[in-house]
Amino acid sequence: MIELLNVSKRFGDGVPIVALADVDLKVEAGEFVVVLGPSGSGKTTLLNMVGALDNPSEGTIIVDGVDISNATRRQLFDFRRNTVSFIFQSFNIFPGLTAAENVQFGADAAGRGDEVNPAEILAAVGLGDRVDQFPHELSGGEQQRVAIARALATGNPVMLADEPTGELDFVTGVQILELLQKQAADGRAVLVVTHNREISRVADRVVELSSGRIVSDGPPVGGKASLSELHW
Amino acid sequence: MKDWFLILRWSWRDLRKYWVKVIAIALVIGIGTGAYAGLTSTANWRRDSNVASMELLNMYDVRFELATDSSVPVGELAAAASGIEHAGWIEGTVERLIRPTQVDASTGTETVLVPGEIVGVDVTNGGPAINGWHTATGDGLTVADAGQPVVLLEEGFAFHNDLAKSGMITVSGGVELEYKNTAMTPESFIVVPENTTSFAQGTYAGVFTSLETAQRLTGFDGGVNDLILTVGAEADRDVVATEVKNAISDLGVGVNTILREDDPSYRLLFEDVENDQEFFNIFALLIFVGAVMGAFNLITRLSEAQRREIGIAMALGVAPRKIALRPLLVGAQIALLGVVFGVGVGLLIGNLMRSVLDTFLILPVWLTDFQWSLFFWVAVVGFVVPFAAAAYPVWRAVRVKPIEAIRTGHLAARGGGLAPVIKRLRLPGDTFAQLPFRNLLRAPRRAVLTALGIAAIMAVLVGFLGAIDSFLGALDRGTAMVEGSSPNRMVVSLETVLPSDHPAVAAIEEAESVEFAVPVLQIGARADGVEELDLLVEVLDLSNDMWQPALTAGSLESGVDGLILAEVAADDLGVEVGDSLSVTVPVRSGDSSFRFVEADLIVAGLHKSPIRFNAYMDDAALSLLGADGLANVVYANPGPGFTSGDVQRELFSLEAVGSVQKATATADDLDDLMAQFVGILQAVAFFVLLLAVLMAFNSASISFEERQREHATMFAYGVRVRKALRMAVIENLTIGIVATVIGFGGGLWMLWWVVNITAAETMPEIGLLVELSPATLVTVIVLGVAAVALAPLFTARRMRRMDLPGTLRVME
Ligand SMILES: Nc1ncnc2c1ncn2[C@@H]1O[C@H](COP(=O)(O)OP(=O)(O)O)[C@@H](O)[C@H]1O
Ligand SMILES: [Mg+2]
Repeated sequence: MIELLNVSKRFGDGVPIVALADVDLKVEAGEFVVVLGPSGSGKTTLLNMVGALDNPSEGTIIVDGVDISNATRRQLFDFRRNTVSFIFQSFNIFPGLTAAENVQFGADAAGRGDEVNPAEILAAVGLGDRVDQFPHELSGGEQQRVAIARALATGNPVMLADEPTGELDFVTGVQILELLQKQAADGRAVLVVTHNREISRVADRVVELSSGRIVSDGPPVGGKASLSELHW
Repeated sequence: MKDWFLILRWSWRDLRKYWVKVIAIALVIGIGTGAYAGLTSTANWRRDSNVASMELLNMYDVRFELATDSSVPVGELAAAASGIEHAGWIEGTVERLIRPTQVDASTGTETVLVPGEIVGVDVTNGGPAINGWHTATGDGLTVADAGQPVVLLEEGFAFHNDLAKSGMITVSGGVELEYKNTAMTPESFIVVPENTTSFAQGTYAGVFTSLETAQRLTGFDGGVNDLILTVGAEADRDVVATEVKNAISDLGVGVNTILREDDPSYRLLFEDVENDQEFFNIFALLIFVGAVMGAFNLITRLSEAQRREIGIAMALGVAPRKIALRPLLVGAQIALLGVVFGVGVGLLIGNLMRSVLDTFLILPVWLTDFQWSLFFWVAVVGFVVPFAAAAYPVWRAVRVKPIEAIRTGHLAARGGGLAPVIKRLRLPGDTFAQLPFRNLLRAPRRAVLTALGIAAIMAVLVGFLGAIDSFLGALDRGTAMVEGSSPNRMVVSLETVLPSDHPAVAAIEEAESVEFAVPVLQIGARADGVEELDLLVEVLDLSNDMWQPALTAGSLESGVDGLILAEVAADDLGVEVGDSLSVTVPVRSGDSSFRFVEADLIVAGLHKSPIRFNAYMDDAALSLLGADGLANVVYANPGPGFTSGDVQRELFSLEAVGSVQKATATADDLDDLMAQFVGILQAVAFFVLLLAVLMAFNSASISFEERQREHATMFAYGVRVRKALRMAVIENLTIGIVATVIGFGGGLWMLWWVVNITAAETMPEIGLLVELSPATLVTVIVLGVAAVALAPLFTARRMRRMDLPGTLRVME
């Protein structure tokens, strides 16, 4: 579903900052992958390139059969509309729209506004009773659930989440991760970025980045853990 | 100390980020203050220029005019003056011979046949020492020209008739004269010949020459009939005037005394200043207020964008004073630049006004320095407003809990506003259709302020363009009425009142080039209603075949024994059709004597002309006034194949004919006058248009920044730039429509005010109606709705180039 071949990303000219160096990565549909690494290790850069928000300096990125490292602007818009859906650390849900409307927006953006019932999706993320609230009437965790529901409403096969738990407390964060994990179980490819090693233990597969390079790829160190086993 | 440096450096970065907006908002303020300074400066300019021009040409203090047709030998008037008790108070005297004449200044293409006067003075020193002659090149008459057929032609007359700077004219008696140059003189700065109520610069010719030439041309050998003098600063002018008058009377001639400020040219020159100014002051103020409101709104929004940072600073315990510094520095940059632009725009509009004044007023000296004193106060306001506008959001922010200020972002962008109110009110369409309206309702205060800022400028625009329309409309109505069914009608003024069956009148009727002639008695009348008005009543046979006034109320049939008034006159007098009105009319009782007849006349109708003093009556009503069968004017229609020039030429040679003008001549003059005025308005309207465009652009640009994160999120979801733009356009369209509706309402109110209050006070003789042309409507709607709506398209490039990862990551 997601395939990165020799991907590098440098910022700036003169003496460039190497954000990613020679990254090879393959993620299949139905996989739930956590990208772990300290701050500045290139996690966001990686995610942004998979989501076609940014383009690599070198290498090839193929997502859902589309080579997005060699695509036109128009193709990239189509790709973002129909292939990936984003969840941001800072939620970025529209303050002028209610929870349900934010979810509806996701469906509208992907051109499937009529096929989706926002209330159902909100219920699925545990917000069945907050359908008509505005973002400012919701807690951070609830807002992030709305953001996930919005991503789900797009129906896109790839879900990208950059530090989705970054602004949340530990318990809420784990709940959000479980929610994302469930989406992988439904057949999506889910790529989640975090710097929190403890949280990464809920994943089947952890890709660890350091200074722009993949330093390990496999099951979490110390084995997969359930929510109750995590320490906080 | 170090932290202040940090703030300064930070502000430098703010400036680099905001510089386009800083310039654009400063331009808004600059236009507001500059237009104010430019428009209001003219009064000072004109006053200063009037005084300086009078001084340069040494305008008389007192003038003594001998009775018609009388004269005394050269030297006697001056001797009479120097013989008075307080002769020491007199600084100088000039004896003159002034006689009416007719002037033919026709060029190959244009017939110019007008009444005028010959003014002769001693030219030993190149011209008179009092009421001097000013020529642009400095070449006047010299002692060598004394007695020669050489003259100077009055500048305004030459200018209005497009005559060359030198050439030939013919005066009464068929004498050809060479005019060496054109000249200005204080009595001709504004030309108001007797019995003429309007501006007549182009239809009255001043011919300035040596005393000897004047005497020869008029047959007053060795005689003078006019004395002008100036007095010293310490003198009691009235005493001098009385003593000289008595001394001249002792010579056995009738004499009329005119003081400087009673001189028509002098009086009108200064009165005009005040009236014009009141008018421009209103517009200047409107533009200024509109611009200030607009700038306030824009700067507030600019500063509001830092609200979150303000909250963070508050949370860190920074003093509000220091927090306010950054927004205030942006305000300061705008303020300073605004003042600079203000001077620039002021100079530009000033130049424009000067060029218009220059061609429309004949003055030798123009003092048009930038009026710093006028600019100062608006500049102070223009300077303070950016600070106030920048500080206002800080003030609002420091009054709430820091957390609320910080939480303006994603956490709780006070999604509030009016949004909850319409929560259940589903608009049709998908979320893309909802978002623009939700965004507006989410921040209703900002939306309303923005709409008001644009509305203020739209209102000024409507007021402005509407005023232009109303003026042009009045001109059109006036011209249409004068032309009527006989657009080529000529107005032949007789030198005296004659019986309508006098051979001189018959001669006009029988002239070869004249098809029809209608005798008319033109009399001054005073109507006594709610207020007293002077009317110029034209009495004629209203059932004539040539021309009748066009009526808007009443009818000519019922008008047989009634008065037909201008609408504005009826308004001012407080009468309607059918009411009775007391009118005092002077009627000639002998050769040169008047008596006044008071009569109650019925208002029989209202005519279309905007000129208040024009009134008409059927000649059947003359008997009421005991003055039937008289005429001092004849309307004459050129026959087929004859031009107005032919009629002028033929009738001018007739005895008793004083002048022959096209009926539209006055209207044409008025047209010229108004064209200048409208020209100024149009030029200023351009700046108002620029203001509106600047507002729309700034507003869209600031909106773009406010929405940057939302746009980035949309783009991350694959929403096309086109679609995001469409949403921004819809949002602005809504604001534009609201702003245009409010602006239109406000503009109509302003226009009503300008037409019915300001114009009614400053130009009472012209009846304006509130008029808006389709072109104005289209301009305003296109600008208000389309320009505001389309302004976001300017941000298309920035949207397309948006750094998505950066924008999405950055909190605010
Ligand atoms: N727009 C940019 N310009 C320059 N350097 C950048 C930019 N974005 C990221 N970087 C650099 O790339 C590296 C990786 O950044 P990022 O992917 O955001 O790290 P992470 O998400 O793992 O914290 C960092 O060293 C960062 O400084
Ligand atoms: Mg990151």
